[in-house]
Amino acid sequence: MRTQATYNTGTTTSCTHCGEICADGTINDGEHVFCCTGCASVYALLQEHDLCAYYQGDVPAGTSQQGVERDSTTYAILDDRSVSSRFIEYADARRFRVRFALPTIHCASCVWLLERLPHIQAGLISTEVDLQRKSITIDADPRVLTVRSIAELLRSLGYEPLIHVEGTEVSRLQQHKEATRRLYLRLGVAGFAMGNIMMFSIAQYLAHGAQSVVIDPVLMSVFTWLSIGLSIPVLTYSASPWLRSAWAALRQRTVNLDVPVALGITTLFVRSVVDMATGSGEGFLDSFAGLVFFLLIGRVFQQKAFDAVTFDRTVRSFFPLSVRRSTSHGDEVVAIDALNVADTIVIRNGEVIPADAVLMSPVGYVDYSFVTGESVPVECTHGALIYAGGKAVGAALQLTVTMPVSKSYLASLWERSSGRTSRDGYRQLSDRFGKWFVWSVLAVASIGFFAWLPDVSMAMNVFTAVVIIACPCALTLAAPITFGTGMGILGRMKMYAKNIGVLRTLATVRAVVFDKTGTLTSSQPTVAYHGEVLTRDQRDAIIAVASQSTHPMSRGLVAGSTPLQFAEHVVEIPGYGITGTAGGHQIAIGSESFIKLNGFNMDARLDTQSTLIAIDGVVVGEIVVEPSLRAGVPEMILDLRGRGMQCQVVTGDSQRDQALLSESFRDDEMTFRATPADKVAHLEQLRESAQVLMIGDGLNDMSAMAVADVSIAVTENTSTLAPASDMIIPATQVHRIGGLLRYAHALRGVVITAVWFTMAYNVAVITVALTGHLTPVITAIMMPLSSLLVIGISVGGAHVYARRLS
Amino acid sequence: MPLLVICSILVAGGFLLAFLVATRRGQYDDLGTPAVRMLFDDNEEN
Repeated sequence: MRTQATYNTGTTTSCTHCGEICADGTINDGEHVFCCTGCASVYALLQEHDLCAYYQGDVPAGTSQQGVERDSTTYAILDDRSVSSRFIEYADARRFRVRFALPTIHCASCVWLLERLPHIQAGLISTEVDLQRKSITIDADPRVLTVRSIAELLRSLGYEPLIHVEGTEVSRLQQHKEATRRLYLRLGVAGFAMGNIMMFSIAQYLAHGAQSVVIDPVLMSVFTWLSIGLSIPVLTYSASPWLRSAWAALRQRTVNLDVPVALGITTLFVRSVVDMATGSGEGFLDSFAGLVFFLLIGRVFQQKAFDAVTFDRTVRSFFPLSVRRSTSHGDEVVAIDALNVADTIVIRNGEVIPADAVLMSPVGYVDYSFVTGESVPVECTHGALIYAGGKAVGAALQLTVTMPVSKSYLASLWERSSGRTSRDGYRQLSDRFGKWFVWSVLAVASIGFFAWLPDVSMAMNVFTAVVIIACPCALTLAAPITFGTGMGILGRMKMYAKNIGVLRTLATVRAVVFDKTGTLTSSQPTVAYHGEVLTRDQRDAIIAVASQSTHPMSRGLVAGSTPLQFAEHVVEIPGYGITGTAGGHQIAIGSESFIKLNGFNMDARLDTQSTLIAIDGVVVGEIVVEPSLRAGVPEMILDLRGRGMQCQVVTGDSQRDQALLSESFRDDEMTFRATPADKVAHLEQLRESAQVLMIGDGLNDMSAMAVADVSIAVTENTSTLAPASDMIIPATQVHRIGGLLRYAHALRGVVITAVWFTMAYNVAVITVALTGHLTPVITAIMMPLSSLLVIGISVGGAHVYARRLS
Repeated sequence: MPLLVICSILVAGGFLLAFLVATRRGQYDDLGTPAVRMLFDDNEEN
């Protein structure tokens, strides 16, 4: 009889701390239920300090502590001054300020708790959380606390600080902060000038328009000089990013999109000042300040989108900062860079191996999904070569380093993949457009100039009018604002794009390549039991024995439940199986040969490749890795195909999930056992015929992602890993990829509409300008009006199509 | 009249200055968290 049993039957209750569904055998203190001891201890700590208001929000605020390894030495590296100084912003004898990235910050309760830490811990002076950037700034007393003790305190509450080679470097954060502040300062100056100049201009327009209004000439000249005075900082300070960029391009004898903008800005300014100084007109300084103001607003939009997620991570970000080195006088924690060939290191469960090494322990399990894509851990025996990038699973590994960190396999893989530069297609396109725009505007303006030539002042007027009125608004404003608004809307759905160029490229994608593990299927393989129905007693006994093993299968079996019984006489033969007694049952879990060795009866029907379970001498069933597609995947692929997309799977895994995928993919669309190099070759071949989107988990297919035209990383937890990709979406949103592509396409349509609008506008206005009929008043009204219309089309369009997305 | 114009500019300039100082002191560094922070009650005795 073969039925399927799940391990968490019984009533479902959720953990008081983290809100996760608790499996059987959770911790229950009579009043509250917890999923694991970690959650219970955090709750106890908060209760002790009367901080249970933390849980008052709508959803339980805590982060699940299941599977968190409590290892006291992880932060030992922070005792090293050269390492800890990276996190210290400021220090004197009485206080120091330290800043950590805490990826698990997610809600208002997190802010509440973390900002009350000074009540819990003596020596903490103040704490300040930045919810958006998921970071905390802590002032503490150096006589009481160290950087390490603060990091350990945060971890004990479930907020584990990121300590990576390129984790949080204070200097980089500082630079970013300075850049944002400068942007706001520029915006403030431009806004101030725009508002005030406009007030003066209105008076001047009135004086010019209606003969009945007479304004004191002294007042008029005061207005003129104040306007000029106010616009000087706008030109020299607020507009400097465009002027500098254009100047840099011109010096290299090229033209980028900033050149027409800079040309427009300077011409506008120079002609206005000349007009006003000579008294031949009122100038357009209000339009000038307004243009700079709107351009800066566009920059703020972009900046906000960038802030939502940090992408600048390299493969070294995944490497640990420190490693445990065994020496003759015990273990010590050293920085990765200090590791030498022939050093002996100890890598514990879940840690990444930083350098190629030889295994010293008798047996060990290594998860190479970073490198090859294969998600099932590899069993290695004494003397085997272990490659950098592998992750230790189960028992700790003792290794002897054979290659320095920088030369290792993974590093070389990364260096190869990062060879391709300039993927920002949007920038290239806009620069091309900029070139075209500059030359045609200059050509038209020159024609106008020569046509009017005998009349030099009129010719100058026409020339500058054409340059000023021809605004490249469509590309300087339309694309950033449309895609920027779209990025913001997607960000609210936790889909983060790296820049606006990503959405533009997504709109033209014709082929989609999926990685399997972590993308189409869950990255944590679920272990399922097939066999006879077990009694509760038997199940508890199996879990008790399995919990004694570090083998990945056993860990999968135990996952989510806490052993209620104590296993005795446990014997594990690494690589074969485990036996033991619990609750009066004798349990054996292992391969066929192991079961036979222990004198159990074999059931011939069972697949002998799998791991078997025997109770009291009888084989009752097997445990298999149960693959499952993420929710909505087949529908999503059908949707993509319906839109004429080519869909393929390229995975490093074996064929074992082929049946599962064949529902959605033809045989020739699936490639198994592909090494990273194979993936790159496959994508390069595909790119010859179509724009390719690569979707993977961003870890083991980094090089393939770099080759694709655009890439999306699917992560279980968007905050902990920001892999090298153009876009990050959470695993729960995978089914929305079809909608995402459609939205990107719609946004492109919005931009094109705005571009056509601007083209039509430019043609119409330039024609008027050439005839010499364009009065300064009309120019002044038309310029901001056209910018506002473009912004309206962009923002409106992005929102209208977003409604269809959700 | 021109005197009043100068005065108005000076008043506006004062606000600009206040904005610049506030920005430099980090007033606009984090626009999200304070909105959340004000939701909590200040019922702590110490």
